[in-house]
Amino acid sequence: MSAPAALVSHLVLLSLISFGGIPSVLPDLHDFVVTAHGWLSDRDFANCFAVVQAIPGPNMILMMSFIGWKVGGLPTAIASGFATFAPCCAVSFSVFRVWDRFRDTAWQRVVRRGLAPVTIGLVIAGGYVMARAGDAGWTSFAVTAAAAALLLATRINPLILVAAGAALGAIGVL
Amino acid sequence: MRSAGEGEVGVEPLESTTSPQPSPPPGVEREHVGAHAPVTLPALFVTFLKVSLAGFGGPMVWARRIVVERLRWMSDAEFADLLTLCQFLPGPNVVSIAVCVGAKFRGSAGALASLAGFILVPCAVGFALGALFLNYAHLGLLQNVLRGISAAAAGLIIATGARLLLPQRRRPIALLFAVLAFAGLAVVKLPLLLVVLALAPVSIAAAAIEGARAG
Repeated sequence: MSAPAALVSHLVLLSLISFGGIPSVLPDLHDFVVTAHGWLSDRDFANCFAVVQAIPGPNMILMMSFIGWKVGGLPTAIASGFATFAPCCAVSFSVFRVWDRFRDTAWQRVVRRGLAPVTIGLVIAGGYVMARAGDAGWTSFAVTAAAAALLLATRINPLILVAAGAALGAIGVL
Repeated sequence: MRSAGEGEVGVEPLESTTSPQPSPPPGVEREHVGAHAPVTLPALFVTFLKVSLAGFGGPMVWARRIVVERLRWMSDAEFADLLTLCQFLPGPNVVSIAVCVGAKFRGSAGALASLAGFILVPCAVGFALGALFLNYAHLGLLQNVLRGISAAAAGLIIATGARLLLPQRRRPIALLFAVLAFAGLAVVKLPLLLVVLALAPVSIAAAAIEGARAG
């Protein structure tokens, strides 16, 4: 299979199981495109992640488009974007149709309670892997830890934290 | 950051609409206060385009503010119900919200209209912008800036996960499965499919047993 086809079909699979949102697919995707196939460098992968934080709109879909762009140009970028949101949207649409019938049933609460912790572990893994991507040093980890702590402890706008990270990077301390 | 913002609706205070009655979409007359404007396909498209572009700080916050407070397409309770559903669906929560709101009012055409507004236009614009940045990513200063952004944004994702974990903190079994999912993906570096297939059924079974004991 060609690199673009392999990437797009892998994204379709990841989209279908992206419980907890797209960040939960980042560890698997990082392994697939950087470690296993070497299509992107670790640094490139981290750059794709960073660039979309500064752009409004559905940023994780955009990140997948940029990875596709690096792998196979514009056609792969478009295909990667679609592969990221179309499968999970089809699931959302189908599930929405039957949701009302089963609202508040006991088994549905059980499924939610069971899925929630797994989802949470996957999301945190996504953040952890991105914190380590791109040969991050201890100063980068300190920024990651500080951003996480501030978001948890205060009502600060996340965008300010991203901007602070950018500023610290710009003055060359990372 | 949007990916980090998705899970934290209800945590951020949504300032109540103290502004005067918001204007209905163009060409639509508001019949009386409390009734919502007709939910047409163009209205769905434009609404989710706005939600997407306003997305600094988390599109979910804006989705609620516009759909519930400004347009009154649904009540708070209906929106919360939808959010619960979307948190347990795969994919970005707010994309699922767009699909479900569209589907609720206009079926599959509505879902497509919302989705087009939410994704297609913003992605085309964002792609052009980002591609420009990435072309110059090798430059020292930009590289350093991206490094800083990446580090901070990773922290936001971790914080979002940690916040979702708070309500579960008194359930040791939930903490165990969260740790297993984290370790499987981040430490052992297993494929996501394997982690989900191995852990989800066991975790759901554990929740069922837990529920049976409690009840």
